[in-house]
Amino acid sequence: MGLVKAQSLTKVFRRPQKGPGLRGSVKHLFQRRFKDVPAVNGIDVSIEAGEAVAYVGPNGAGKSTTIKLLCGILVPTSGSVEVAGVTPHVDRIANARNIGVLFGQRSQLWWDLPVRESLGLLRDMYDLPKGFYQQRIERLDEVLGIGELMPVLARKLSLGQRMRADLAAALLHQPRIVYLDEPTIGLDIAVKDKVRKFLRELRADGTTLMLTTHDLGDIEDVCERIIIIDEGRKIFDGPLAQMKDSFARTRRMHLHITDGTPMDVIAKHLSTADVSGEGSEVTIAFDRFAHTAGQIIAAVLQVAEVGEFHLDEPAIEDVVRKVYAGELLV
Amino acid sequence: MKPYLSMFLMSARRTFAYRLSALIGWLGGGAILISSLSVWHALLGEGAIAGYDWPMMKAYLVVAWAAGSIGASQGDWRMADRIREGHVATDLTKPVDYQGSRFAEHAGGLATEIPAILIAASAVIAFTGSIPGPANVFLFLLSFACVVPLKFCFTYLTAMLCFWTHNFMGISWAKDAIIWLFSGGLIPLSMLPVWLSVPASLLPFAGITATPAALYLGQATGAEAARLLGLQVFWVLALWFGARLLWRGALRALTVHGG
Repeated sequence: MGLVKAQSLTKVFRRPQKGPGLRGSVKHLFQRRFKDVPAVNGIDVSIEAGEAVAYVGPNGAGKSTTIKLLCGILVPTSGSVEVAGVTPHVDRIANARNIGVLFGQRSQLWWDLPVRESLGLLRDMYDLPKGFYQQRIERLDEVLGIGELMPVLARKLSLGQRMRADLAAALLHQPRIVYLDEPTIGLDIAVKDKVRKFLRELRADGTTLMLTTHDLGDIEDVCERIIIIDEGRKIFDGPLAQMKDSFARTRRMHLHITDGTPMDVIAKHLSTADVSGEGSEVTIAFDRFAHTAGQIIAAVLQVAEVGEFHLDEPAIEDVVRKVYAGELLV
Repeated sequence: MKPYLSMFLMSARRTFAYRLSALIGWLGGGAILISSLSVWHALLGEGAIAGYDWPMMKAYLVVAWAAGSIGASQGDWRMADRIREGHVATDLTKPVDYQGSRFAEHAGGLATEIPAILIAASAVIAFTGSIPGPANVFLFLLSFACVVPLKFCFTYLTAMLCFWTHNFMGISWAKDAIIWLFSGGLIPLSMLPVWLSVPASLLPFAGITATPAALYLGQATGAEAARLLGLQVFWVLALWFGARLLWRGALRALTVHGG
């Protein structure tokens, strides 16, 4: 039984086709023309309690729309959603109590007031007891350092500070299910690390986590499962490790040849690997399940002298890049 | 109620973040009042138009100005932008009623307006005399209290149209023009031709200016006053619940902008 379940979830947007300016708008009131655009197209997802899932896809793939359907913000065109036993768009408020949401590109803080006030409002919205609220603030201060941000006007925060405060706001009521839409967008490396560490702790606490991101570091650091969607359809759903095994098999060895052995000699010798390069710099791409790095270097040393070498490990990035570019049909 | 009270207070506090802007708003509002007073003073002279002599018109203009000013600094754009810029998505992840939240915010935003209106209205009355009887003042205050939710409903409903049109400016202008004319804000309804003034008196817009003014001036008393107040309350409820119905439809039309 999944905690978050979606079956054949579909959302079709009717995009108005209208002329420019006020005139176009007014004309549109009388002469309505629309185009149907499916943003999410028959997606099945089931997420167990305590799972951390990366939800990945190119821009416009339907990631945010899916999250909004799961939050009850959008009403599905067809299909069903159930989150912790609640249908979000039918009982939005009951669902809202179970979830914490961060839209990285938007802030939920009150712009002209100190951060403390926004958090105080959330305390009242979720009806948190005073002791619990204090305890949460202390905890969030430990991991996100929001204590120093409390008296600052939200509009005076830097992007990294804003994101920390917004994360605190999304998680203040200790929700069971957390959706994070681009939680590290625009952050510098130090803050990113902090946020990721926090997300790992959140997962360790048993929170169910769904993360949409373009930052593959987020995924590798935080998630054990990955769902890839493209054009509103799910194209991969499985453990991150399995995805790497299936689609990121290629390791790359970069060598500096010191004795001037031509590349094609090496290539001829290593018939099962892909050899490329220029002059003395040679790159050998090989299947990590077929050969070890030791076997490759031993084979090269039979025909050439090697000065320096280093190895690129397969990255999830390569896979996702290929999927985005449409090179890989998963 | 706690979340809404909390939002009300936050919104009140926020208006103080824009003290200067509020001050300029008051000065501008005061200029409008003074100019309309002088125009009508010149027009009326010693005579009367459609039953309004100068002392009556003066009182009418103060009421119309106060009713027109209340909520003006809130700006329709604030609510519309929440929808247009997609903040509505964040709002909807909270366990609170959307319409109730917006009303709490709107009402909190009046914190700096109400004192300003009181000061300006008292000043005009003090300098020019003509204070109505206590019964009139009481009925007027009841009626004026309805102006706040009425104006909120108009703003909320027009902002909601953004879900469909995605263009707000034109709609907002149209709304302002309609309210100005049909509420009696431009000229008293009795100065309009009958074919316009009769329907106008039944429409919800009349509750914004014509009704409180009639009660303040003592043009309506007894049963007629009760009827006017009843009609005003009816429209508040009809628009409030009508907005809820429309909101359900709006959610189906919702496209959250900017991903």
